[in-house]
Amino acid sequence: MIGSLTQRQLRAVKQICWTLALCVVAIPFVFPFLWMISSGLKGPSEIFGQPSLIPTSFRWNNYLEVFNYQPFARQYFNSLYIAVTVTLLTLFISSLAGYALARLRFAGAALVALFLVSALMVPEEVTIIPNFFLIRWLGLSDTHWPLILLPVFGSQGIVGTFLMRQYFLALPKELEDAGKMDGLSRFGVWWRIALPMSRPALAAVAIITFLNSWNLFLEPLIFISSLEKFTLPLALSNFTDPYGSPLWHLQLAATTLAVLPILMVYLIAQRQIIESFALSGVKG
Amino acid sequence: MSSLTLRNLKKRFGRVDVIRGVTLDVADGEFVVFVGPSGCGKSTLLRMISGLEDVTDGELRIGNRVVNEVQPAKRGVAMVFQSYALYPHLNVRDNMGFGLKVRKVPAAERQQRVSEAAALLKLDALLDRFPRELSGGQRQRVAIGRAIVGHPDVFLFDEPLSNLDAELRVHMRSEIAALHKRLGNTMIYVTHDQVEAMTLADKIVVLRDGRIEQVGSPRELYEQPDNIFVAQFIGSPKMNILPAGSAAGFGAQPAGAVSVGVRPEHLSLVAPEKGQIGGKVVISEYTGASSLLHIRLDSGETCLVVVDGDAPEADMKVGLLAGTDNLHHFDTDGMALRKSRLLM
Ligand SMILES: Nc1ncnc2c1ncn2[C@@H]1O[C@H](COP(=O)(O)OP(=O)(O)OP(=O)(O)O)[C@@H](O)[C@H]1O
Ligand SMILES: [Mg+2]
Repeated sequence: MIGSLTQRQLRAVKQICWTLALCVVAIPFVFPFLWMISSGLKGPSEIFGQPSLIPTSFRWNNYLEVFNYQPFARQYFNSLYIAVTVTLLTLFISSLAGYALARLRFAGAALVALFLVSALMVPEEVTIIPNFFLIRWLGLSDTHWPLILLPVFGSQGIVGTFLMRQYFLALPKELEDAGKMDGLSRFGVWWRIALPMSRPALAAVAIITFLNSWNLFLEPLIFISSLEKFTLPLALSNFTDPYGSPLWHLQLAATTLAVLPILMVYLIAQRQIIESFALSGVKG
Repeated sequence: MSSLTLRNLKKRFGRVDVIRGVTLDVADGEFVVFVGPSGCGKSTLLRMISGLEDVTDGELRIGNRVVNEVQPAKRGVAMVFQSYALYPHLNVRDNMGFGLKVRKVPAAERQQRVSEAAALLKLDALLDRFPRELSGGQRQRVAIGRAIVGHPDVFLFDEPLSNLDAELRVHMRSEIAALHKRLGNTMIYVTHDQVEAMTLADKIVVLRDGRIEQVGSPRELYEQPDNIFVAQFIGSPKMNILPAGSAAGFGAQPAGAVSVGVRPEHLSLVAPEKGQIGGKVVISEYTGASSLLHIRLDSGETCLVVVDGDAPEADMKVGLLAGTDNLHHFDTDGMALRKSRLLM
């Protein structure tokens, strides 16, 4: 039977089999996601009633309630602008620092690189206490500054710097020489040659930085006390009844909203990565 | 357009001396080729002229200007790299116009200069393509175009053809020669390739270990090498160097001659009894138009001979003849004993 299939049919069959297999593998990842969306549209009692992915009635009202329960729009905006700021700053600083470590010869360059990597091994829970005192001493408690400064100059910045350095090291040097012959300064070479060629690395740094800032929980928990300065992770954990138990239907509706920017960042960054892989046909 | 003057130029990387005092004059419009074994410092010397490497010591002039401390883009030089070094994120037009843009040349003039260069190099149809969409030869032309649009005084080429296949290399070689004729600029060209050096150069500079071994026209280097190194480096297959004793049969030798050089193409095969010296064919390599014979001389040395037409088989006994004009004599230091000196 199989032997009688043409080459093309065989390929189609193979493709279907693969797709089915991948769908099965995807279930553990996709199912909680669907469950979240569906539960965000259910009433509080239905969530714990008969388990079903399709709600008996769609309570779009949940989404209104999310915004009435606490200043959710404001909190959403906080998270958004903080994550964007952190991402842009990290991209800027880590690509500059990474370029310096990869290309400039200065005393102690290797030592700096080593120091950065070893700093990564210190868990955040250890540094949070000295950082707490530092931030209080700077008078930045209950502001958004610690949520921006700590990641940019902390682990996110370091991871970014390290990734960028590795990527820059692998770029062909002759291209930068060509840039110099064309009249670019060192800074110009970085901006107009090294950066445009590093889009995959920049996209990767952008994704992990944005995700990390978006999900940041410990820092806001420690540094932020005013409700309208909350970021999303704090706000989500704040959907509780007067006795402190979670209001699942609101929490899950809010979480559904919170996932959207991540999806968008991912799609944008992924396109950058794919496009630049097509670009990088640097032969010879 | 400009001349170029190197005065005792030196380059040190850390503790390693790479260029050990190079003095050279390049006339305006001259085509100079640097050749030498791998690692002898050809690229380094070229990069010093371009400004990509600092000069450790000595003086470098382009025209009348000392440029030791001048930035690469302000020296009036343009460089074509071995890997072409085209910006992958820019199309051909922007690649060629990039330097002009950085130098803030107005868009209209930029456009015009790029079109001129594109027409000259037959790149018109490719202006909107990206480097990844070009063949090796086309990329090479874009790289040359990028150098041309800046109207440099001096062109620098670092093994520009070594990534191309043999046929294209021959073709591009003639294009570069034509370009030089047409533009008349001073050009400095680094290559490994004998034939490229001989065909393109007005003047060849043979380098070894960061020093100049000899400077001269291709003919001078071929006919009057200063020493054994140059004698063997120029010409292919390389010159046979025989101890004076083994080569005594070729004729009188000047006083002090320790070794005698004769090129494989200047030896002719005759019957064993008619030869000045005799030997036996060891290997016979047929290469089409001619054959390359490895001959074991009666004195024990191996000697290469190029013969046209039918070659004798291995193990045949043969005699060798060489004209006195084609003999080179060297002293104990490997320096040439010149025929002019010989006559005196
Ligand atoms: N940046 C550098 N640091 C230290 N040594 C270097 C550097 N660049 C070149 N060298 C050394 O200088 C010597 C000359 O190098 P160069 O590249 O000029 O040789 P080349 O003649 O161009 O060789 P090839 O024909 O293989 O291209 C080599 O021994 C090389 O190891
Ligand atoms: Mg080289």
